[in-house]
Amino acid sequence: MKKSAFSALDEILGKRLETSFETRASYSFDATRKNFLPDAVAFPVDTLEVQRIVELANQMRFPVVPRGAGTGFSGGSLPVHGGLVLSTELMDRILAIDTENLYVVAQPGVVTGALKEEVRKMGLFYPPDPASLKFSTIGGNIAECAGGMCAVKYGVTRDYVLALEAVLGTGEIVRTGVATMKGVAGYDLTRMLVGSEGTLGVITRATLKLVPLPESVITLLAMFTENRKAAGAVNAIVAARVIPAAMELMDRTAIDCVQATIPIDLPEGTRSVLLVEVDGSAASAPPEADRVEEACRACGALEVRRAYDAPGRDDLWKLRRSISPALLRVGAVKMNEDIVVPRSRLADMLDFLSELGARKKVTVVNFGHAGDGNIHANIMISGKDQDEYRRAEEAVAEVFKAAVDMGGTITGEHGIGIVKSPFLEMEIGPMGISVMKRLKSCFDPNGILNPGKIFPEEVAGSS
Amino acid sequence: MKDEELLEMAGLCAKCGTCRTVCSLYPYRKTENAVARGKVRILESALAGENLDLPAVREAMADCLLCGRCERECPNQVLYEEIVMRARAKLADEVGIPAWKSILFGNVMPSDAAMRAIRRAGAAAQRIFLKKIPTDSGLHYRFPLKFFGDGRMFPELPSKGFIESLGKSEAVSGDVMLFVGCVFDHLFPEVGGAAYETVKICGRPVSVFRGAACCGLPALTSGDRKSAFVSMEANLRSMRVAAPETIVFPCGSCLLMFKRNIPELFKEGHPLYEDALFVAKRSIDYASFLLDSGVARKFPDPATVSFPGVIGYHDSCHLTGTLKRGDEPRKVLVRAAGSAFKEMEGADLCCGYGGAFNVRDYPTSARIGENKVSVAAKGGTKIISAACSGCIFQMRDMAARTNPSMRIVHVAELARHALFGGKEQGGRR
Ligand SMILES: Cc1cc2nc3c(=O)[nH]c(=O)nc-3n(C[C@H](O)[C@H](O)[C@H](O)COP(=O)(O)OP(=O)(O)OC[C@H]3O[C@@H](n4cnc5c(N)ncnc54)[C@H](O)[C@@H]3O)c2cc1C
Ligand code: SF4
Ligand code: SF4
Repeated sequence: MKKSAFSALDEILGKRLETSFETRASYSFDATRKNFLPDAVAFPVDTLEVQRIVELANQMRFPVVPRGAGTGFSGGSLPVHGGLVLSTELMDRILAIDTENLYVVAQPGVVTGALKEEVRKMGLFYPPDPASLKFSTIGGNIAECAGGMCAVKYGVTRDYVLALEAVLGTGEIVRTGVATMKGVAGYDLTRMLVGSEGTLGVITRATLKLVPLPESVITLLAMFTENRKAAGAVNAIVAARVIPAAMELMDRTAIDCVQATIPIDLPEGTRSVLLVEVDGSAASAPPEADRVEEACRACGALEVRRAYDAPGRDDLWKLRRSISPALLRVGAVKMNEDIVVPRSRLADMLDFLSELGARKKVTVVNFGHAGDGNIHANIMISGKDQDEYRRAEEAVAEVFKAAVDMGGTITGEHGIGIVKSPFLEMEIGPMGISVMKRLKSCFDPNGILNPGKIFPEEVAGSS
Repeated sequence: MKDEELLEMAGLCAKCGTCRTVCSLYPYRKTENAVARGKVRILESALAGENLDLPAVREAMADCLLCGRCERECPNQVLYEEIVMRARAKLADEVGIPAWKSILFGNVMPSDAAMRAIRRAGAAAQRIFLKKIPTDSGLHYRFPLKFFGDGRMFPELPSKGFIESLGKSEAVSGDVMLFVGCVFDHLFPEVGGAAYETVKICGRPVSVFRGAACCGLPALTSGDRKSAFVSMEANLRSMRVAAPETIVFPCGSCLLMFKRNIPELFKEGHPLYEDALFVAKRSIDYASFLLDSGVARKFPDPATVSFPGVIGYHDSCHLTGTLKRGDEPRKVLVRAAGSAFKEMEGADLCCGYGGAFNVRDYPTSARIGENKVSVAAKGGTKIISAACSGCIFQMRDMAARTNPSMRIVHVAELARHALFGGKEQGGRR
């Protein structure tokens, strides 16, 4: 960035422009652990400031990288070409909650969990629940189209975005969508911006759909001797016409990993566990839970546990929640891939992953949102052995290929960013890339917003 | 600046961001620099030689309350507190520490006599120069000095400390030793007194540790290892000579020093290694001692004792968080006050003190503390009890500033009231 750019930014932001090495270092990373140092960090407070920043960036040609909480798993908020990191942390207000028309209007820096809590107080429910909800932001969730446990029943972030306000790469302000359930006036620009990873516009305001808060929640934990039986139960539950609010599968690798560190009492011979949560009215939830239990037993469950109240449910969730912390003790470096396959291919994918781990001599720990076919395949390595690293990288490529071959995708919710850009073409083909690039140049002709993301390119940088 | 071990400890941080949710400072700073992972990254870049502006790095490391909430929540078990303390020590070695700290930690706090002299001089000066503000948690003086931050309230300095005023007939050695700590000796001697009176009825010989130096925590967390060691060594030596069976700490932070930091610092091979273990093994918090020793069984039926309002308990970062002694004070409170004790709104919010942080950035420290007190007040609490000197010092200041009717007491003061009647709370009016 040129010297004159700093003084011009200073005029817009004053003290809310940070150029100290310490602050730049603090904004150089996300949850991929990679580092790229920005030239400066901006903390705008409203749409007009964002607009002035992007306009300036067009005049002076420096990159602008939107950043929410920097918890992305694909490198979306990393300033790979330097420039300005635009943090939305100070744009953190909930502007309105409409209890009649059931929507909430929020600035992008609102933490998702805080928003969920606010609407819950009014008996309303904002369903998207990425595991990072306590710290990731609405802007980041929209830009990555974050998913979560409840996607099987409630869908993902995109299903709740009614309308957006954004500053495009040109500096123009666009308002998309409408705060009603229906609305088809022209192209669906809202969905265009959802999942755009900060490359098309900076989201400055979001109108999000709400639903009534379910009255009761029941959690079930079913233990099986093998993945095929658990995967069979997933299909049997759906066939019994229950769509649970969560359906999490943990395979042998994940169970072993937890048992080796934070042991949990499970029946002898447990090799696969299914965690199911049903929600609804006080009248509808219990019979649904019964149908889930029947389906599990019919598929050979060793045992089915059930909990109605918060502490009991918490106890059942313990196994699932312990996986992430336990993982780190298996290997220092984790390659976390979030592939998706059609629900019916779940067992095939899990078989493939365990065969792959054995063949490449790397530990692969699998768990995931079985209800929607989204599996988190974690390839764990020590990070110290070059050959091991190479084998792990080969394994990753094979995982992606298998996912696409089975009719799935290379990323269900974490986005492409920089870590998956080499594999994008594998899924969407050259034509897909070409159309996307044309759209990009329409929203951001000068390539100001988040350069180096989504589309493959060589980037240096430390990790 | 180089330190392979420190770099490795920092390397465990996955930059996942979980620490953002619990950081006591983040809501007031709204910048990643305030959060554990930001500071880990700042440190990494200094250790890697990318950032050569070490005084700036030192300031970044100082901007933390060391409340430890991030560390307890961290899924990767990053030893954040240890990382920051080591970094501060390292930076103190390389770029020095601010002058006020070096005088305070190096010359004053290791010496009981110097502490006494300062308190006496301060008490006299205070009466002459400062404005008196009576509040329910004791008389306070308003500091006009910019250095201490605007509107800081300081408790009235007593002319005599607790230990100084102990009668000649009180035992000087015993099976049970009370480590009062600087604050409960010099600033709030009534807390020292309450702790002593209630511990004394345990049925075993009890004495007060008289020649105590500061526990060393303020110097240690500031990176002034040299001063910290002077205090720690003096204490270990005299404790070993006195050789009590049990050492009782009314202050959670002092206890943390003896239970966690000292055993970590006096590793095997150090001449005082055995002594450090000896002391650590025998050290116990005030409430646990009341429960274990049977004092808690001596409380009368709480229905027969009256308290002037709803009592809450403040979870001190060190006592509840790090040492996992949150249940014990509550058990004592239930025994002493029965239904007058109610779980407090925001019990686990940090008070914002953070030792040197409070001097370094008083306005922010005050905002965190005022929020703490006002959340409790909104929830209906009238008396906040705690068992840590820093928290009590801070919350008394905050209550005096914003909510003069809120009382801030030590658990021991409530226990004394239940056992012996009389004044149920601290503060000299
Ligand atoms: C422990 C952990 C668990 C996780 N669990 C899940 C999970 O279950 N499901 C899931 O989907 N993800 C999960 N994630 C990934 C991550 O939390 C999500 O991708 C989240 O949406 C990122 O939000 P953020 O605020 O941190 O955004 P950032 O990481 O800061 O940014 C992400 C992307 O969004 C862009 N962006 C941010 N704000 C804006 C804006 N206002 N306008 C335009 N673009 C913007 C950035 O440029 C970047 O490309 C997890 C991460 C962690 C660390
Ligand atoms: S929670 Fe722990 S691992 Fe995660 S960013 Fe904070 S310090 Fe690092
Ligand atoms: S110790 Fe407390 S103030 Fe410091 S970074 Fe951790 S949570 Fe924040």
